[in-house]
Amino acid sequence: MATLEGAADQQSAAPGRHVELRRPPRLARMAGVLRAGETGAWKWGARVAVLLPFAALAFVVAVLAVKAYSAVEVNGTGFFTGAAWKIGSTYAATTRTDGVAHPVGSSYGAWPLIAGTLQTSAIAVIIALPISIGCAFALTERLPRWVSRPLGFAIELLAGVPSVVLGLWGVLTFGPALSKTLYPFIADHLPNVPVLSFFKGTVGHGEGLLTGSLVLTLMIVPIITATTADLFRQVPSLSKEGGEALGMTDFEVANRITLRWVRSGIIGATVLGLGRALGETMALVLTVGAIFQLAPNVYSPMSTIAAAIATQLDSSLTDGTGFAVASIAELALVLAVISVFVNLVARWIVHHTSRLGGPVGRGT
Amino acid sequence: MTRKLRAKVLVPALAGAAMTIAAAGSMAGATTSAHDVHTSREASRHVELRVQPPAGGTISEAGSSLLYPMWNVWAPAYETAYPSVTLQTAAGGSGKGISYAINGTVQIGASDAYLSSSDLQQDPALENIPLAISTQEVFYHLTGVTAHLRLSGKLLAEIYQGKVTKWNAPAVRSLNPGAKLPDIPIVALHRSDGSGDTFLFTTYLSDSTSVWAKKVGYNTSVTWPKAPHELGETGNSGMVAGCKATPGCIAYIGISYQTQALGDGLTYGRLKDGVGQYVMPTQKTIANEAAGFAAKTPKTGAISMIDGKIRTGYPIINYEYAIVSKKQPSANVAKTVRSVLEWVIDPTDGNTPSYLSQVNFRPLPAKVADNSYTQIQAIK
Amino acid sequence: MPRARRRAVFTVLFRAGTVLALLLVLSPAVWLLGGVVAKAVPHWQWNVLWTNLRGEDGGLLGPIVGTLVLMAGVLLIAGSVGVLAGIHLAELGRPGRHGGPGGTWLRMASDVLAGFPSIVLGYVGYVALVVGLHWEFSLLPALLVLSVMVVPYIAKATETALRQVPVSYREGAEALGMSMGHSMRKVVLKSAAPGIVTGLLIGLAIAGGETAPLLFTAGFSSTVWTGSLVHSQGFGYLTYLVYQFWSYPVKHANYLSYDAGLILVVMVLLLLVAARVIVARTQRHSEYRGR
Repeated sequence: MATLEGAADQQSAAPGRHVELRRPPRLARMAGVLRAGETGAWKWGARVAVLLPFAALAFVVAVLAVKAYSAVEVNGTGFFTGAAWKIGSTYAATTRTDGVAHPVGSSYGAWPLIAGTLQTSAIAVIIALPISIGCAFALTERLPRWVSRPLGFAIELLAGVPSVVLGLWGVLTFGPALSKTLYPFIADHLPNVPVLSFFKGTVGHGEGLLTGSLVLTLMIVPIITATTADLFRQVPSLSKEGGEALGMTDFEVANRITLRWVRSGIIGATVLGLGRALGETMALVLTVGAIFQLAPNVYSPMSTIAAAIATQLDSSLTDGTGFAVASIAELALVLAVISVFVNLVARWIVHHTSRLGGPVGRGT
Repeated sequence: MTRKLRAKVLVPALAGAAMTIAAAGSMAGATTSAHDVHTSREASRHVELRVQPPAGGTISEAGSSLLYPMWNVWAPAYETAYPSVTLQTAAGGSGKGISYAINGTVQIGASDAYLSSSDLQQDPALENIPLAISTQEVFYHLTGVTAHLRLSGKLLAEIYQGKVTKWNAPAVRSLNPGAKLPDIPIVALHRSDGSGDTFLFTTYLSDSTSVWAKKVGYNTSVTWPKAPHELGETGNSGMVAGCKATPGCIAYIGISYQTQALGDGLTYGRLKDGVGQYVMPTQKTIANEAAGFAAKTPKTGAISMIDGKIRTGYPIINYEYAIVSKKQPSANVAKTVRSVLEWVIDPTDGNTPSYLSQVNFRPLPAKVADNSYTQIQAIK
Repeated sequence: MPRARRRAVFTVLFRAGTVLALLLVLSPAVWLLGGVVAKAVPHWQWNVLWTNLRGEDGGLLGPIVGTLVLMAGVLLIAGSVGVLAGIHLAELGRPGRHGGPGGTWLRMASDVLAGFPSIVLGYVGYVALVVGLHWEFSLLPALLVLSVMVVPYIAKATETALRQVPVSYREGAEALGMSMGHSMRKVVLKSAAPGIVTGLLIGLAIAGGETAPLLFTAGFSSTVWTGSLVHSQGFGYLTYLVYQFWSYPVKHANYLSYDAGLILVVMVLLLLVAARVIVARTQRHSEYRGR
């Protein structure tokens, strides 16, 4: 069917061009104008469209900045170092600091939330990256097509599962099950050395940093896998076949040719996943236990910036002075800054490694 | 509009009418006799509380997740009675109910807590209109313990401050001699979102424990003291699910989620009231408490009904409020909003036990319903 | 260890590792999807698909229509903006300083937007559109916020797909005397279509599966969409019911929540199948390999 249509297209295209040359000058001019018009339309449309995300970002940041202004002024640096997030007594009298009205006893310290955001995202990416690369290899290089196609399909389906569904499953099934099986095993068998000691201690009941991070992992693995698999498919088969002809094992081909070829692209894919992890809200609200604290161990309940915004916005709206909402806006700004910073760092890394890598992957 | 409105004084006698009506409400389950009482009252009240027809159109309600199930029962019933009206319901939380009413996003905000002075500063035209009576229960998940454990405000405050950390600690055992208490940690669950339930629970703790009042206080969202085992949950549903997944948990949950919590293997405790009794949350004890507070309820409707020192009165109950602006965008919208709210508080319509009992709410005492009716008439 | 032995060990480890990685993803995926199906199927009734929601009773007609309308709207708004933005990033932007792709700042804006927490976008939509412009809870603010979320994904997919179109195609079109616009439509976009379709699919899946920003922009409504863009006093969609009804104190409401979850997953499944079919049909025009 498709072939027939394609053939028809080609047939109509060729004589069309032929006829155009014989048209009277006036018609040809009109056709020329039309063609120029089409090019112009594409160009202008694209120019406007590419500015829209930029404009949207500027608009969002501007709204947040206006909303957050008073909070930034009053909270100061304590916002980044303090650990207490208090709305204060909204049923008592209000007071003023630097001319900004707020309830008595309010204080906003976001350090546990900032740290929590970095922790969940970092754990998710660290686990997701090797798994995704492994999956991408399995799907593109190792498995026969009739196996890899349905498996790839399943992974794409996982990417499409709404985060609220994933979060519910995380809190009802996944977290409790792991807290009875995997978590005690890890906690009992890891050596008590720095870094790993973070994985020791009481394992709780399945709501906390690790459960949230693992749910995040499930969300970003499909993203990184899909992008990485696409990259692998673009590695010229000549290079890989050359490696094989030299007697390389498939691990060596993977390690020395394929991975090297797409290195900077994988960093791009990881940043895509990291971006998703930093901003994920619903799944984390449901699975991290939502306590505003620096997690004492990896199983403890904690919270992230995005989850805190979701859970705190409602009570913040009860603060009639608007100061609580201003502090929420400041929280959102901080997340935006973290997001930009991560992007910049990733760009810097891509820039400094791209010369080593192959020509593919610059697109990502 | 602040704490001074909160009733701290014991009411010596109950208004006779209020008592009868509350009792009628509480008993009007299935028995014919109760029904008779109910209809006779309806006849005597008919002139006073009249549901006037709406102007038609769409009215939005949003807010409290505790009231959300109730509105989902009320809305289709009202729409059946008045087909010209579409009543949209949505959850979101009491804070959203209040702020959406302030900026006019919805006509009826739903809240478990009354308005604060700063809310009224923002919009002096706001009213909080009592619609029904809700109750809060304290649930726990202890496998093998089916007894309703005795819990006092002092004990709960110590648990939530991390001072009592095990179920078989002396403080728990001394209140519950004979109960088989397991040697497992107490996991204190609290709401991480802003919540009227948190307001009620922390008010109960503040009233019974001065340390709590000084250090933590009461609010829709408080800074919880550090306990060795704690979890934050979103919504009443999150509390039920979290408690189900966490043996040893303790959680304060609105009564509309009682059926579900019981189905998930949780048990609720008896709470110590102001006269030192340990009271189960039953229709009778809730009605007792509500009747005790009826006379004290001010015209604004803003009162916290915690620990009223009322004999066999369950100590944590509250009014569920509609947060409505007295100044509606048009006379037609105002007319429809009035009609909806009049229908909701009418003891023969929205406030019949057959509707309320679906989420275990109780009807308003007659005096309070009269008061709400007056408030509704101010909506223009 | 002799070199040959070490190589053999590494090879085995590598092969085992790839299979293990697949299992680590697929087993939770199967667990999750099985859970969604197992919750919904035992009490499934087909009439939820065409019955109106009344309070906590009835079916899911309104929210299903709402989710489909949201998807269609996002396809229209974010689809056109995203594809055009992708074209600009891949084809029209001036090259960067080091000969790399240009439009660094524009691309970064789009990347940052992709990483922005959806709840923040929802809140800004609430402040600026629902309250600021008095649009109330309705379709348009929800569509705009969702589109802002989705455009970066579509733009990126389009850009990546366009970059894979061989230069020889463009040169061929140019040699035939086709204008840039004409060759864009007839040659370049056609050959990049599979990648673009995949991007649109991701956008649709996001639009159908989002919850947080919609809570603030769409509100909720149980009735079927009446056709109004603004001032509609709420707009219903499926994820709302998953979130609000999953442990609502009424059994039927819980069932509706599980049903909504299943319907969402089936929608995603259908989207994927549709994408496969479209990709297969267009692939013959394109140089896009794999899949």
